[in-house]
Amino acid sequence: MERHQSVSAVIETLNLNKIYEGAFRGQDVHALKDLNLAIKPGEIFGYLGPNGSGKTTTIKLLLGLIFPTSGTITIMGSRDISSAKVKRNIGYLPEGAYYPDFLRGEEILRYYGKLYGLRGADLEKRIDAAIELVGMTHARKRLLRGYSKGMRQRIGLAQALISDPQILILDEPTTGLDPIARKEIRDILANLRNQGKTLLISSHELLEVELISDRVGILFDGVVQTMGTIEELLTEREMSIEVSGASEEALTRLSGKGISVEDYTGEKMKLRVPKGQSVYDTLELCKAEQLTIISIAPRRETLEELFVRVVGAAEAERRQAV
Amino acid sequence: MTAVIDSFRGPWCIAVYTWREGMRKKTLVGFLVLSLLVIFGSSFMSSFLDPSAQSDMELKLIKDICVTTIAIFGMLITVFISASVVPTEMDNKVIYTVLSKPVRRVQYLLGKFLGVQLIILVNLALMGALFFLAIYLKQRILPTLLLWSILLTYFQFIIVSAFTFAISCASTSSVLPTIGGLFIYITGTLTEYLKDVFTRSGQTGELLDKIVGYLAYALYNVLPNLMHFDLKDQIINRAPNDPPTDVLIPNLIAYGLLYAITGFIMSYIIFRRKEM
Repeated sequence: MERHQSVSAVIETLNLNKIYEGAFRGQDVHALKDLNLAIKPGEIFGYLGPNGSGKTTTIKLLLGLIFPTSGTITIMGSRDISSAKVKRNIGYLPEGAYYPDFLRGEEILRYYGKLYGLRGADLEKRIDAAIELVGMTHARKRLLRGYSKGMRQRIGLAQALISDPQILILDEPTTGLDPIARKEIRDILANLRNQGKTLLISSHELLEVELISDRVGILFDGVVQTMGTIEELLTEREMSIEVSGASEEALTRLSGKGISVEDYTGEKMKLRVPKGQSVYDTLELCKAEQLTIISIAPRRETLEELFVRVVGAAEAERRQAV
Repeated sequence: MTAVIDSFRGPWCIAVYTWREGMRKKTLVGFLVLSLLVIFGSSFMSSFLDPSAQSDMELKLIKDICVTTIAIFGMLITVFISASVVPTEMDNKVIYTVLSKPVRRVQYLLGKFLGVQLIILVNLALMGALFFLAIYLKQRILPTLLLWSILLTYFQFIIVSAFTFAISCASTSSVLPTIGGLFIYITGTLTEYLKDVFTRSGQTGELLDKIVGYLAYALYNVLPNLMHFDLKDQIINRAPNDPPTDVLIPNLIAYGLLYAITGFIMSYIIFRRKEM
């Protein structure tokens, strides 16, 4: 991850604020509050947050679809983010975008390619490359009305890639896809990162983001609550003890001592040893409850757990402030 | 020169895409089919006339039905398509994928507006061609007057289209611009009455009466007068190959274009800082 810190950011926001003005006084919505982001070249940045946290607002601001109330945005060193030079280097996949049914897969790409100023043999070469990259060669001449949801998402990704951009902004790229399609899209994105492209991925699919991202930022109420590499953020390690033969009463007693059940299948269940508590003490408690110990393993906090913890704390803080 | 051509490539690409998509809209196809059926059926309807009626009565009826059909359905197609192209793309998020490309907002608008004009022109050409054929088959004379009428009708529609398009740029759905477009058409055909209001005002000598008169006169001069483009009476009552009279066609074309450009500039002013 060191490589990201030594080079200047490809996408940078400085004290970025966005206020959506309401029709009446007091109805304004402060969607982004002093947002400072620095996305480095060649990294996959997972941009997370619950609905209404400001993710889509950030993306729209980066693309020039809406305008900041204050603060600055710099993309590839330029503050003129609506310039053709900057936009030629950005590919964007919106969430749930519509692509007209009457066009064939390759016709959609031809349309978007022309908007990038591509022509002739160069355009056809780019269409071939993008279609191949997303694995849609077999269906390129089919009308979109015959495409499945996964195929539409792939063609959407292909349109974002048509100009071979340096930056990809992807809003929910794997939502609604089956596990195999998700894996394939994930592999494509990892491959793009290996080619040196920078990816900003906004998603609710936390497992996907955890598997692929170099760094993540969690946004809540327009404020970045935490940001860092996956390794930095998911450092908290706990021990997990797999046991069997626990009664309801035994679990209640263990729960009173801070030991929670994190997962169970039939007779077997996993107990989480709370941070700061000795594993040996927990094993003694299990023995006292006459539980059969199957295994003891260390466990790392998942991104989902981190997300719930961070957002939960921020929400509680907001409630307190109100 | 190359830079100028390049800057028009994007809009042209958007225009062709808009045209291809627009020609598949069910409502628009419905209007077109219905209008073609009415034009085609006008010959059949004329057979219900009293045989003892004047010999050109049948022809006048056909012409009347066809001119009215083109005016009504052409206007509906114009308003419907001009009101819907931008709000539809905002609704289905296609606009995000387009504006995130190296396409400036003015280029996007120009592309959409040109696409709308292509749709209107193609529909008008189809309706006009059938009308042309109906007259030619009845009279065996090339109805050149009809061609002039179709041309002027298009410039009447481009005015309605431009202002409807401007309203649609301020709206998130196509309902308000559709109502606005119909209002523009109706107001534009009634502009002549504003002149009457002005000439009749001031008779009572009261201040309010005078103010209303001047207001009507100001509106008469500002609002487009769509009746300038109307050759209906000439088409019905004169020979099909007569030249149009009482109209200066180049002036009317310039008049139509001037209002269309004004409407387009309004669209851009509204759209340039619009948040998607």
